[in-house]
Amino acid sequence: MLRVAVKMLMGDRAKYAGLVFGIAFTSFLVTFAASYFTGFMTRGFALISENPTVDVWVMDPAVRSVEKTTNMAASALDRVRSIEGVRSAVPMALGTAEVRFANGQFQSFQVIGVDDATLAGVPPPKDGVVPAALRTPDSVIADPGGTSGKLQTPLRPADQWPGGGPRLDVPTRSLTVGDELLVNDHHVTVVGKSEALPRFPPRPLLYTTYSNASRILLPERRRMTFVLVSAAPGVAASDLAALIEARTGLRARTSDDFKADTVSWFLENSEDVGDIAAMLTLAMSVGFGVTGIMLYMFTTENLRQYAVFKAMGASSRMLLAMIFVQVALSALLGTGLGLGLCAIASQFAVEAEYPFRMMWFTPLVSSVMVVIVSVVAAAISARPVLTLDPAIVFTGR
Amino acid sequence: MGSNNSLAVRCRSLVKSYGSGDAKVTALRGVDLDVREGELLMVVGPSGCGKTTLISIIGAILSQDSGECIVLGHDLQRMNETERATLRGGQIGFVFQMFNLLPSLSAVENVAIPLLINGTPQKMAESRAREAIEAVGLGSRPNVLPSELSGGQQQRVAIARALVHDPKLIVCDEPTSNLDHDTGVAVMDVLRGAGKKHDRALIVVTHDPRIFQFADRIAHMDDGKIIEVTNGASAL
Ligand SMILES: Nc1ncnc2c1ncn2[C@@H]1O[C@H](COP(=O)(O)OP(=O)(O)O)[C@@H](O)[C@H]1O
Ligand SMILES: [Mg+2]
Repeated sequence: MLRVAVKMLMGDRAKYAGLVFGIAFTSFLVTFAASYFTGFMTRGFALISENPTVDVWVMDPAVRSVEKTTNMAASALDRVRSIEGVRSAVPMALGTAEVRFANGQFQSFQVIGVDDATLAGVPPPKDGVVPAALRTPDSVIADPGGTSGKLQTPLRPADQWPGGGPRLDVPTRSLTVGDELLVNDHHVTVVGKSEALPRFPPRPLLYTTYSNASRILLPERRRMTFVLVSAAPGVAASDLAALIEARTGLRARTSDDFKADTVSWFLENSEDVGDIAAMLTLAMSVGFGVTGIMLYMFTTENLRQYAVFKAMGASSRMLLAMIFVQVALSALLGTGLGLGLCAIASQFAVEAEYPFRMMWFTPLVSSVMVVIVSVVAAAISARPVLTLDPAIVFTGR
Repeated sequence: MGSNNSLAVRCRSLVKSYGSGDAKVTALRGVDLDVREGELLMVVGPSGCGKTTLISIIGAILSQDSGECIVLGHDLQRMNETERATLRGGQIGFVFQMFNLLPSLSAVENVAIPLLINGTPQKMAESRAREAIEAVGLGSRPNVLPSELSGGQQQRVAIARALVHDPKLIVCDEPTSNLDHDTGVAVMDVLRGAGKKHDRALIVVTHDPRIFQFADRIAHMDDGKIIEVTNGASAL
C-alpha cells in the first residue's frame, strides 16, 4: 500500500509539483536568509576575524561589541602585560573621523590604530606595499571596508586642494598611493591601499599606527580601545580571559566569545539588524505556513480515496503510514531541490560580494525545520483521515 | 440445495436514525431481511427510503441503532471497528455508484487494492488483479488509467476490484445509475456473470427497473421498511 501512496502522490502531477516546489522554496528561503544573516554578522565582527592571532580582547568593562566601543586608560596595557600567562599584549585605538578628500568632499572613516612596534592587525596592502610603510609619520592605508566608489579623489591636479570652496562635481579617479587626505585638519598621506574583510555596516577604513591615530583623531583623555593579548603556550584563552578580568577589573573576552557578544549586541541594539531579522523570520514563517497548508490540503483533498481504503478494510495504521510516506517523500525531494538551488544561488551571492555565509549547519537546521513542519502538517492532516466516516463512499459528491 | 438455504445476511428489526432532536431523520424503521448464500438480491425503492443506509449497515460500514444484523455469521453489533475493518477487508466486496477508482492508478493497480490491504504481496496481488480484470472482459487493457476508460468500463474495473479477493458478500449501491441503459444492462450482465457463485451473496441496490431482470429476488423498500420480497425474473 505504500507504493499505492507514492503513486497517489505522483499521479497528481500538478499538485505534486506544487508541493515539492513549495517545500523547495521554503528550504531555499530559510537557508538563504539564514546565510545572508550570518553573512551580515560575520561582517559585523570582521575586525575580530582580522586579528586571528589574538587570543583575548581586553576592553572597558562597559563594552559589549566591537561595533560600539569606549576607551580605557593607557595604564591598562601595562596592567595586562604584568599578568602571568600573557605572552604579548598590544594596544589598538579605534575612532571615527570625518575625512576630507582633495576636492573638499568629506566622508566618515573608521580609523584603526595598530601597535607601532608590531603593526599587528594591518591587512596586507596591495601593489607590493608593505605594512612597514605606515612607520612614516602621518601615513595611512586606505580600505573600502565593504563600500564602493567612496575612495575617490579629483582627476585633475587643478581640482586638488583648490582655494575657495569644494569642487564636488569634477571628474575623479580612485585614491592611490601618494594622495593626501585631511583628517581633523591633519594632512595624512595614503601610503597603501588594502582590501580587508568587508564591514557591516559598510564604511571605509584608515589603518594607521597607534601613535599616528592618537595624533590625527580628536583629542581624548583616553585613547586605547582594546588591548590585544596572545596567550603563552599552554595557557587556555578562556582561563587567561578570566584571570585578566579578575586582576584588572577590565572586560576580557576570547575572540570567539567576543564575536558572539558582538552578534548578540547587534541583535539587541541595532535597529537595522533587528529589522532584517524580523523580515527573515516573517519570510520563514510564511514559507513554513505555506508548506504546512499545502501538505494539509493534499491529504484532505484525497479524503474520499482514504474513505474508499477504509471501507475496504484498511487499518488506521496503514492510512497513517501512507500519509507519512507521501509527506516524507515530498519533504525529502523538496528540501534537496531547495538546498541545491541555495548552493547555486550562494555562488552568485558570493561572487557579487553579498554578505553571504553558509555555515555547515545552516542547511541542516533548515532541513530539520522543514521535516518538523512536514511532520506537524502530516499529523494535523492525519486527524480528518482517522476520524473519517467510511460511509461517505456511498454518498455522491 | 443445502448451501442455498443458509443465510449470508440476517437482519431483524433494524433501526437507524441520523442526527438528533428536531433534525432527527429515521432512515430505517425496523427492517427484517434475509439474504441467502448464492443469490443476487436487489433492494429497490424510491429515493430516500433508506436503501443506502441499509447496505451500509450490512456492509459493516455503519452501525445500527438497534436490531440485529448478522453478516456471514458475525453479529455486527458485537464487533469493534477493527474487527469490522477486518471483516470488510477479508470477506466483503463493494461497488459504488461513483465508481471511486483512484485516478492515478492503472486498472490493475486499482483492482489489486483489496489484496494489498489484506497484505498480499505486490506481485501476487497484481497477477490476481489481472485475472479479475479478464473476468470482467477488460483483459486487453489492464494498464490504462481510469480516465481513459468509459463509464461502463470503469464500473467493470470496480466490479473486478470487488471480486478480486473472492469475498462472500458483495454490496453494490446503484451500480448502473451513472450509466446509460445499454451500458447498465451490460455491466449488470458482467456483475452477475462474474460475481455469482454458490457460496457468495450479492446485494444490489437500485431504483432502475430495467435491471430487475438480473435479480433472483427483489426486496421492495419504502419509508425505512421492507414492504415485500418478490421473486425476480431470473428466478423463474
Ligand atoms: N449522513 C446522513 N445524515 C443525515 N441524514 C441522512 C444521512 N444519510 C442519509 N440520510 C437520510 O436518511 C434517509 C435515507 O437515506 P438513504 O439511505 O441514502 O436513502 P436512499 O439510498 O434510499 O436514497 C434520507 O432521508 C436521507 O436524507
Ligand atoms: Mg442511496
